[in-house]
Amino acid sequence: MVEKVKEATRDTVLETATLEALKDIDVAGGGAVARRKAPPPVLKPEARRQTPSVGQRVPRPDSRPHGTGETLYIDDMTLPGMLFAKVKRSEHAHARIVSVDTSEAEAMAGVMAVVTGHDVPVNSFGPSYQDQPILADTKVFHMGDGVAAVAAISEQIAEQAVERIKVVYEPLPAVFDPLEAMDENAPKIHDPAPNIYTRKVIKKGDVEQAFAEADLVLEKRFSTQMVEHVPIEPHAAIASWDSSERLTVWSALGRVTLGRADLARTLDLPINRIRVQSTFVGGNFGGKNEITMEPVLALLARKARRPVKGIYTRHDEFVSSTTRHPFIMDYKTGVTKAGRILGRKVRLVADGGAYCSWSETALGKAAILSAGPYVVDNLHVDAYAVYTNKTMAGAMRGFGAPQVCFAYESQMDDIARELAIDPLEIRLLNAFDEGSPSPTGQVLESVVVKNSLLTAADRFGWKEPGQ
Amino acid sequence: MIEVNITVNGEARTAEVPPETTLLTLLRDWGLTGTKLGCDEGDCGACTVLLDGMSVNGCLVLAGRANGCSVSTVEGLSVDGRLHPLQEAFEQHASLQCGFCGPGILMSAKELLDANPSASKSEIRIALSGNLCRCTGYVKIIDAVAEAGAKMAAHGGQSNG
Repeated sequence: MVEKVKEATRDTVLETATLEALKDIDVAGGGAVARRKAPPPVLKPEARRQTPSVGQRVPRPDSRPHGTGETLYIDDMTLPGMLFAKVKRSEHAHARIVSVDTSEAEAMAGVMAVVTGHDVPVNSFGPSYQDQPILADTKVFHMGDGVAAVAAISEQIAEQAVERIKVVYEPLPAVFDPLEAMDENAPKIHDPAPNIYTRKVIKKGDVEQAFAEADLVLEKRFSTQMVEHVPIEPHAAIASWDSSERLTVWSALGRVTLGRADLARTLDLPINRIRVQSTFVGGNFGGKNEITMEPVLALLARKARRPVKGIYTRHDEFVSSTTRHPFIMDYKTGVTKAGRILGRKVRLVADGGAYCSWSETALGKAAILSAGPYVVDNLHVDAYAVYTNKTMAGAMRGFGAPQVCFAYESQMDDIARELAIDPLEIRLLNAFDEGSPSPTGQVLESVVVKNSLLTAADRFGWKEPGQ
Repeated sequence: MIEVNITVNGEARTAEVPPETTLLTLLRDWGLTGTKLGCDEGDCGACTVLLDGMSVNGCLVLAGRANGCSVSTVEGLSVDGRLHPLQEAFEQHASLQCGFCGPGILMSAKELLDANPSASKSEIRIALSGNLCRCTGYVKIIDAVAEAGAKMAAHGGQSNG
């Protein structure tokens, strides 16, 4: 009975949708379109009928345990005999490692295992390029690199032991400015690989012709800074082996299957011997999208034959976990007197820091979105990701989108000011419509940018005097 | 080693700890893991507990300093399975996303509402200024505290019943 009612409701919705679609086509195309045989049904989303959950208030299933303090995050979990790990970090931004002496740390009471980069079976990982060591062995590429790690019966002993590890470095010239890093004569950070490790180009129409025809051409450089995610829960993991040499890792990692593959690769272990247990995550924002110390904890745990927990300190978070890419963005835009964009040329330089991490993804997204939600028929985007000796940039909410948004929206305001046009009007004039192509040719559907702009302007009183 | 005697959520507890042990570490060693370590330097407020009714960062207070005192943590907010009005309001408003900052925020809010259940939104903001949240943007947290306060005021400041 209930099923029948549901079916009937669904049929009604479909029928209404088809009628709506026909009406739209008639209005849009006049008689010619209306004569077309069997127009494809266009389903209009009907919130609360087709999708009854949309718009409903639903209690979050984890709200209550969060509020009572019952939720167990990694640091709230304890295994019998569990040890605590600390990582010894680099003292240089760029240096050759001459020697690592762990003997004094190993001799300390309460220290159960010490590992260095030479203990890692396959000492490289990364989602696009495997350019990042688990623990640096021959060279450090930035100050956040780990060079050794200790597992001890208490956090305090582990911390003291880390201080007794002696590392001799031969400092190398470091590069901190991504534009300098692009210079042919700059020190090669991942020698012999070039410092520019990813390039994305989008070419559409003829920008030079567009600039020649434009009434106004504006050119400006915009830049954004490095941003750390600062999840309130620092990176955390526990590694434990059973007696049949199977590894279990509890981790606050967002990408569990990728982490499992990275563990298999770096530990040179068949993937079916590894179980990665995802847990409650105390904030991610893209910063927990790849492994950090998980293989180190696994190696320490295997050596000590006891479970090992590792929690990043807040200092570790800032120097060693991924960040948002700082961008240097050169924008050149040609417009008509009325404010219509004719052409745009964009050069993006993403400071990737010491390792690629998610730069490929972030740069691609930044390049595609760099023209903004605007119709730009003539476009030339040239985007680079560059190594520097800084904390690596990776995934963070938006993957490169907020950086370019800052640049193109700032330039829209500059153009509006130059032409004495209302900043809202210039956006409405250029914004995407239903079916507009993206810079890479994707036909866009469900485009509501103009509605959103108008609604927002209405809500905050844009047209009222004094704005 | 020093001996400390602390009444935690109404229960007398005692421990022998190295003198540098923080109140946060001791509480967590006692299995009260609701109180979190976020920064370990008094910036984030995830470790907020009440020490004789006053909110403190558990990571900055030595366990020895709390000797002879009464400490309230998030685990003591609900009584006999009945949620505190703050916990109810946080659940209804979906004020916690990842939840890691929640226990600290709830304790800062409790300190405020125990003294002034009719606190204004700006007083709530000031009371929570030592607690960082990266998920929510604070709006739903502040709404929930205000609602819990109104409920407590209606019950003459009583929190559980």
